[in-house]
Amino acid sequence: MEDRLDRLTRVFRDVFDDDELQISRQTTAKDVEGWDSLMHVTLVVNVEKAFKVKFTSSEVASLQNVGDLIDLIDARSPAS
Amino acid sequence: MTSSSELFKQLNALRKAGRIDQALDLLRDALDRNGLDPEEIDRAGHFIQKVRVDGPETTGRLRVNLLGQCTTTWLVPALTAVAWGQGQACWVAEGGYDTILQDLNRLAAEQRAPEVVVLIPWTQRLLGGSGPLGERVEDELTFWRHAWEAAGRMGSRVLQVGYDWVSPGAGGYGLAGEPGSSVELIRAVNAGLRQNRPAGSYFLDLELVSGMMGREAFYDPRRYYWTKQPFSERGLVRLAEHLWAGVRALVTGPKKVLVLDLDNTLWGGVVGETGALGVALGESPDGEAYRAFQKHVKELSKRGIVLAVASKNNPADGLEPFEKNPDMILRLNDIAAAEINWEPKAASIRRIAETLALGLDSFVFFDDNPAEREHVRQAIPEVAVADVPADPADYARALQAGLWFEAASLTDEDRVRAEQYAVERKRRDVQQAAGSMEDYLRSLEMRADVREIDEADLLRVVQLLAKTNQFNLTTRRHSRAEVLRLLALPGAIGMTVRVEDRFGDHGLIGVMLGVPAEEDACILRIDTWLMSCRVIGRTVEEFSFGELLDRARKLGYREIHGAYIPTKKNALVSELYDRMGFQRMRKGDDQAVFYVLDVAAAARPTAYLSLKETSLLVESA
Repeated sequence: MEDRLDRLTRVFRDVFDDDELQISRQTTAKDVEGWDSLMHVTLVVNVEKAFKVKFTSSEVASLQNVGDLIDLIDARSPAS
Repeated sequence: MTSSSELFKQLNALRKAGRIDQALDLLRDALDRNGLDPEEIDRAGHFIQKVRVDGPETTGRLRVNLLGQCTTTWLVPALTAVAWGQGQACWVAEGGYDTILQDLNRLAAEQRAPEVVVLIPWTQRLLGGSGPLGERVEDELTFWRHAWEAAGRMGSRVLQVGYDWVSPGAGGYGLAGEPGSSVELIRAVNAGLRQNRPAGSYFLDLELVSGMMGREAFYDPRRYYWTKQPFSERGLVRLAEHLWAGVRALVTGPKKVLVLDLDNTLWGGVVGETGALGVALGESPDGEAYRAFQKHVKELSKRGIVLAVASKNNPADGLEPFEKNPDMILRLNDIAAAEINWEPKAASIRRIAETLALGLDSFVFFDDNPAEREHVRQAIPEVAVADVPADPADYARALQAGLWFEAASLTDEDRVRAEQYAVERKRRDVQQAAGSMEDYLRSLEMRADVREIDEADLLRVVQLLAKTNQFNLTTRRHSRAEVLRLLALPGAIGMTVRVEDRFGDHGLIGVMLGVPAEEDACILRIDTWLMSCRVIGRTVEEFSFGELLDRARKLGYREIHGAYIPTKKNALVSELYDRMGFQRMRKGDDQAVFYVLDVAAAARPTAYLSLKETSLLVESA
């Protein structure tokens, strides 16, 4: 079974159109080309669709890095 | 792995291999089949924008500018993708956030104005104001009038989106429409927009659009607070679909022909088996649904959509319900062309196109059978194939959802079109019975009404300029403002030609626009000559040209210059000027041919029409 980070990596690769993109828990917007505030919206929407979750406005505002994102997904869907 | 991520893998592989056209074709097919969800449509739009390295000057590419009082960023890829799914390459740009008038000023200073300017209001300013209703409505209209004037000066067409309410507000549903409420104000402004919008614009009623999907699904409060874009993912795509329909309505006009199957499309059951009176058409759940669908289709024909039938049946069987079944809403007089036979549907559709003299890319095909739909999709890609649901109760809604027939305005000509086509069928019958061509033409007793282009005709003239493709020498899609400018030039000749015969009235079927040449005011340059295909081959061309020649002579012109600018669709007129007696002068870029005619030496070609007494005669210069 694929882990969260692998699945998330696929979403990032689709959204940023980069087959070789690598992310880790520490990755922030500064580390990825094209990850501006507009792309951030597209990214969150795609993450929500891929993991079938929905974040609140506060949660969206509080995201600082990929680790936060993974934790948030875990909190929303604890099973696997 | 889902099939859509397969799609993007393929697209990227094709892109890397430099096979851009193939990638775009693959994507267009996927978009056309409505299989992509909103996130994928967004991705598709970005893909298209990225691969189109050629800039906005590419021929056939429409320039559309989105100017909104809300954020429009995500509408850009959405509209790009939706339009491409229907085969139209669009270069979509957006303005700033709520900087509409400034953006229009900036656009006016650029070299080429966009074909369409889309104006998207949002309610933050409107709802933030105060004062009596009338004043607040007038304030908003004043703003939009500035925008319309700026767009008009640029020669761009306007797609005006309306305001919308997102929830009933604190008054709740009981008090929502009461005086002083937001909903009342929004409705009043929308009514004002509809009534005052510029001629030739398209009004996108956002209340209707959001209502159809349901505001709970169409709007997303989180998204609005986060990005100042009010639409949900699905709402955004739906809006993009409507924007595309509006752009198409403005630029090429709505689709013209609806081709319908018969069995299980217009009625329940197979008429060859049940007989004309045994088909389901009322008195049962599905019978009622089929009748309702027929009613919807009949209403479409009343406003100018041409109806045709393509069915696999014995001809007698297929026609019988129209004649014998009392529950039928549609009658034979409503059908402009019918191909009822056992041949492949694509062949029938092609014959219908030839009979009606209308392009296949103005056709919509509605058939309950998925195999037939797929066959037509592959055999004739230009035909729009409707997605038909399993339940006839959903037919009308499915046809409407395609937005094929969205139009910016309705003219009297639209209203009588169905009848005209019915009359045309009678003419076809007469022609088959007549002896020589001359006998037939004389027997028609054609009369022409030739007039200068006036205010009353301007809307129809601009409509014809926008959508006439086959009999169109130069395919210049002038806006209303541009037509007025040309007509105002000294010595300009603007003619409309109406033709009637003993069977009926064809209405306005020809437009000719001639202006003095820039280099020599004694040369008349024919800027535009177009005609409806309905009257081709009956010497109406010769007659119209004769009228132009007389006018040119009376105004003192020495020469007439004409141009044939070839497009994919106007090969029909490639030798028209030769037939009128012009000499070929030179060839231009893209195979354009330039002609000259000496006025003094020219003679009116033979034509079998007489001039109606009501025509305006030309005065001397």
